[in-house]
Amino acid sequence: MNETIETTQTAQPWRPRIVAFFCNWCTYTAADLAGVSRMKYAPNTRIIRVMCSGRIDPQFVLEALSEGADGVLIGGCHPGDCHYAEGNYKALRRFHLLRRMLIGMGIDEKRFRLEWISASEGDKVKTVINDMVEQLQQLGPLDIPARRKAWDVELEEAKAQVPRYEEFEEAAHV
Amino acid sequence: MKGNGDIRIGFYICHCGTNIAGLIDVARIAEYAGTLPGVVVARDYKYMCSDPGQDLLREDIAAYHLMRIVVASCSPLLHEQTFRRAAEKGGINPYFVQMVNIREHGTWVHDDAEYMTGKAMDMVRAAVLRVYAHQPLERKQVPITPDVLIVGGGIAGIHAALTMADAGKHVYLVEREPTIGGHMAQFDKTFPTLDCAACILTPKMTAVKAHPNITLWTWSEVEKVDGFIGNFTVTVKRKARYVDEDLCVGCMECIEACIYKQGKFPDEFNMGLSKRKPIFIPFPQAVPPVPVIDPGQCLHLKKGTCKDTCVEICADRKAINFEQEPEYKEIEVGAIILATGFTPFDATRIPYYGYGKYPNVYTALELERLVNASGPTGGEVRLPDGRTPERVAIVHCVGSRDEHYNRWCSRVCCMYSMKLAHLVKEKTHAEIFNFYIDMRAPGKSMEEFYNRISSEGIHLVRGRVADVYPETLEKKTNGQIGRVIVQAEDTLIGRIRKIPVDMLILSTGLQPRIDAEEIRRMFNISCSAGGFFLERHPKLAPVNTFTDGIFLAGTCQGPKDIPDTVAQAGAAASEALALIDRGVFELEPNTAYIMEDDCSGCKSCIPLCPYTAIAFKEEKQKAEINEALCKGCGTCVASCPSGSIRQHLFEDEEIYREIRGLLAYA
Amino acid sequence: MLAGEEVIEQMWGVSLDRLYDSDEGQRILSCIQCGTCAGACPYGEHMLYPPRRIITMLKAGLIEDVFDSDSLFKCVNCYTCMTKCPRNIRLTEILLPLVKEQSAVRLEEMPAELQKAIENTYRYGNTYGESARKRAAWIETIEVPIRILAKDPAPVDILWFVECDLSYHPRGQAAARATALLFHLLGLDFAILGPEERCAGDCGRLSWEPGLAETLVDYNLSIFDKYTFNRIVTNDPHALDAFKFRYPMFAFKHKTTATVPELYAHLDRLKPMLTKKLDYLVTYHDSCCLGRHNGFYDEPRALLEAIPGVRLVEMDHNRENSICCGGGGGGMWLDTWYKQQGIERLSDRRLREVIATRANVLAVACPYEVSRFEDAVKLAGYEDRIIVRDITELLVEAIGGH
Ligand SMILES: Cc1cc2nc3c(=O)[nH]c(=O)nc-3n(C[C@H](O)[C@H](O)[C@H](O)COP(=O)(O)OP(=O)(O)OC[C@H]3O[C@@H](n4cnc5c(N)ncnc54)[C@H](O)[C@@H]3O)c2cc1C
Ligand code: SF4
Ligand code: SF4
Ligand code: SF4
Ligand code: SF4
Ligand code: FES
Repeated sequence: MNETIETTQTAQPWRPRIVAFFCNWCTYTAADLAGVSRMKYAPNTRIIRVMCSGRIDPQFVLEALSEGADGVLIGGCHPGDCHYAEGNYKALRRFHLLRRMLIGMGIDEKRFRLEWISASEGDKVKTVINDMVEQLQQLGPLDIPARRKAWDVELEEAKAQVPRYEEFEEAAHV
Repeated sequence: MKGNGDIRIGFYICHCGTNIAGLIDVARIAEYAGTLPGVVVARDYKYMCSDPGQDLLREDIAAYHLMRIVVASCSPLLHEQTFRRAAEKGGINPYFVQMVNIREHGTWVHDDAEYMTGKAMDMVRAAVLRVYAHQPLERKQVPITPDVLIVGGGIAGIHAALTMADAGKHVYLVEREPTIGGHMAQFDKTFPTLDCAACILTPKMTAVKAHPNITLWTWSEVEKVDGFIGNFTVTVKRKARYVDEDLCVGCMECIEACIYKQGKFPDEFNMGLSKRKPIFIPFPQAVPPVPVIDPGQCLHLKKGTCKDTCVEICADRKAINFEQEPEYKEIEVGAIILATGFTPFDATRIPYYGYGKYPNVYTALELERLVNASGPTGGEVRLPDGRTPERVAIVHCVGSRDEHYNRWCSRVCCMYSMKLAHLVKEKTHAEIFNFYIDMRAPGKSMEEFYNRISSEGIHLVRGRVADVYPETLEKKTNGQIGRVIVQAEDTLIGRIRKIPVDMLILSTGLQPRIDAEEIRRMFNISCSAGGFFLERHPKLAPVNTFTDGIFLAGTCQGPKDIPDTVAQAGAAASEALALIDRGVFELEPNTAYIMEDDCSGCKSCIPLCPYTAIAFKEEKQKAEINEALCKGCGTCVASCPSGSIRQHLFEDEEIYREIRGLLAYA
Repeated sequence: MLAGEEVIEQMWGVSLDRLYDSDEGQRILSCIQCGTCAGACPYGEHMLYPPRRIITMLKAGLIEDVFDSDSLFKCVNCYTCMTKCPRNIRLTEILLPLVKEQSAVRLEEMPAELQKAIENTYRYGNTYGESARKRAAWIETIEVPIRILAKDPAPVDILWFVECDLSYHPRGQAAARATALLFHLLGLDFAILGPEERCAGDCGRLSWEPGLAETLVDYNLSIFDKYTFNRIVTNDPHALDAFKFRYPMFAFKHKTTATVPELYAHLDRLKPMLTKKLDYLVTYHDSCCLGRHNGFYDEPRALLEAIPGVRLVEMDHNRENSICCGGGGGGMWLDTWYKQQGIERLSDRRLREVIATRANVLAVACPYEVSRFEDAVKLAGYEDRIIVRDITELLVEAIGGH
């Protein structure tokens, strides 16, 4: 299915977009609770449900950023409360690694956040999202898709400067 | 841009009265959805979850040959099952449904209509893209063996066993000691009612023995547990008792006849406060009423040189059998209830309370035996030198609420300390001092009980005891045991009190069994920080564990009193019953699986799984996931370096599509 | 019970107004008002504000009243309250010193003896007011060769930090000689600072003179920097405390241990030398800093039990429940003041437990204790029945021919 889809973000002033990965048992439920309690928070977050924060592959985060998210939020159960005992510890470990990598890539650490939010903490969903939106608003757009085009150009230029680049690339792939 | 011919998607957006339609223009969203790839029908409807709403789904499936369904409405946690069922009724796989949570995560939390409309479109687009990649899935059903195993025969295990047996299930009750009864059997009276423990416990113990549905194995332990929910295979070791349970008639003449005329060995049931023979029964009402021989003490078994007077008196009943060997039983059960109880805190760990050093310092459990009419002193509270104490101090919270020992409140000590204050006062007329930090009397009838005892004229000193030492440094020459001074700050008057007492009682807290960690591992469950077994949810699943089919009852899960223990045991029994009566267990299909060809055999996934569902197949040098054990957390999926682990319903591809859909750069 | 690395870090530079910024400070808020600290304190009954009430006053915003009282002049820094506190609140390490400082500032008049000791230390680097040059004079009284680093600055394994009492007090010097002999016989490579050494400053700091303590720390650190050595060994448990818990705040990184554990490490070689039978019934008094604060309970006992003929008996209060000799936290210089207040000296109280054991030798491992207990023995009229000995002295006595 390779059809192109038009973006729905039109004619509106820029607002940050956050992709959130919430675990089914705590944080997703907390977001539901925020809804049931009719708490109002910034509408910039799109939530993706996974069973456990341990399912979150660093690739998902990278994918979200490179597809245009301005920030990524991970929500899991508090340490010791993970529905699957310790998936959140695994998530935490990956989070630290990935964060270091993102910082290395020049991405501000405020763009990538991990929060423990239990099913009873609807208000925390609200404050975390509001807080993050505010920070991203200040940082401005990340807009990797646009930057990617620039990088592609740069890369091509760089390749041209490396003699026998193709051979390297081939060698690297075996 | 209508469907590419292969996948035909139906889209539905719910008004939810005004809950959704009140903020956003649902028709506009339906219209937008209709432009998305694959969507052949897009509708808005007042209440999708209502019967007509579901009918609409089914009719459309037939009319438009729909292959996938997207419903934008409330939270999937609420109605996912509803729409899956509707899809199934309509003739397509139930997992071909994706929900979009535009109510809880949308119209209820935002009020900017224009922006919310955009957000809803993003979410709808993501769902449409995602559902496209959905695979047909099947729920696996596992049949459940109807028998249950209950480990531990304290009041928790007893109550659970009787409940299940009365419901017609076959119960194996495995108890490590020679008798069932647990700690409760050691008490004289129980708070808050002060009714006699034996009077309420003994009938239940006999009922266990008599019940046709209960196989009672005392002096036995679980050695091995295999399998999973519905189909556990358990090996139980029945230790050699040297008295045949089937042949013994319970006359106890052998004990009388033993060559040892007097007890010689510390009696465990009496906390070592009396002596017993090598052939013994823990207490007269023990169940089963069959003696046991300690092979380390019995002359015949130790040296082979006894006159065997026990055998002689047993005569043609022939119940005594020195040749007995441990027996191993293998049983199949569908569910397991753990009721292994607690251990009292070891008072010698706090050296400044003098336990084990001064003979007049006792633990509360020792006092339970001393005040018990069938105890070592026939219920008289006497000091080791035979005197009746005139002043007694009771120290609350020993080993509890303490960062150096156990951090938790043991929940029963305040009340049993009040109980002991009452019993000791009643029996000795001694002056009683209870040293407490905070008086904890929560629950039904507890405050009333506290009121009652405190008005009996005991001294309540609010302060944790800080030191215990002898009143006079010189040793007494008349064989009398000297008083000890109990030193504490009476925090309510701000003064240091040094109170000399004849007897000091340490109210030791409840802590996990010493072998809780081993048991935990054997049964593949978890422990909480303090070492008690961990329940699946502290509020909503207090008797379940994270391992399906294994339930918890009583103090093995955390400190509690008898009423709460019994309530929990009942709950564990009914959870187990509900499971067994279902006959089959349905596994959620969101399990992980390994693409065998891609697996590089690196083994990095194996330690990650909290349920040990991943095994390494040596023959193939590949990892393999046991679907019956996998709970579908996906942790392994995210960490496989070769990307060869996948998860049903949460396939990488599905999630990537969702991400791209949300962000609209497809 | 022992302070871990993080705790030490937390203690650095904590002041009353920033108390709750640190985890260990915040822990104070978790006090359950159980009164264990007050009940356990050897002088608790004489304090208007024992630790529990200090916390209540602090929380109520009335801490000024505590500063104005002399309660914490009665704190001998024995670590008992801290060891027993069920909330593991670092009373003796963090809260009490901060309060003591303030009380000292408000005090109209320092007790004379203490004032003198502090002045002496400021001026001469030792509490005795002796000349710094005479610090190594005691080495003339023994045969064993002792290297002084100033004279021979070659690298050395052990820097033996002798401390004031062992350097100047006649009874302390006996322990110094014994230690030197033991080190020598064990073939240890050691040297002393001699006249360059100054009081380590622990009792200074804890007796409400942080300024003085810091001066001493700065000074000693500058001297340590001059020489190359692997580790520090000291007989004085207060100095051990200083090096382990306070010097690290000033970038001090040397490994430090006390003489008792050092000797214990060589027990297998020491034991064959202990040939002379000593027919003593010995009771051992746990020093607060060595025991409660650093966890050395078994080592001193093992050394004593290695002596042929020695039988060990325990007092009612022993190990973590031992009672302070009263010398810590400045108590060493407050005996007169305590007397004026009508408070019994802790060494006298402790001696009654010694007497009850019927032991004829009281073994100690802290230089304060020899003189304190000998005083108490005299006062009680037990001179002919009980002798007080440092562990090192007993070991030397058991080595035939010395
Ligand atoms: C001094 C004292 C006084 C108390 N007084 C009262 C009171 O007056 N009123 C009140 O309501 N509560 C009282 N309690 C609390 C009460 O004891 C508990 O609530 C109750 O005993 C808990 O029962 P249980 O079955 O969970 O555990 P337990 O009584 O400990 O029973 C557990 C059983 O499991 C067996 N077991 C353990 N491990 C294994 C294994 N691996 N394999 C096989 N079997 C095993 C044990 O042998 C034991 O028989 C008191 C507690 C104490 C300490
Ligand atoms: S064999 Fe002897 S010692 Fe053993 S139980 Fe029988 S009579 Fe007692
Ligand atoms: S998904 Fe979770 S439970 Fe299933 S095998 Fe992987 S780690 Fe284990
Ligand atoms: S012992 Fe600890 S918890 Fe108890 S009153 Fe003292 S400081 Fe507070
Ligand atoms: S350190 Fe010792 S003397 Fe000081 S308050 Fe604590 S217990 Fe009392
Ligand atoms: S289930 Fe919430 S983090 Fe694992």
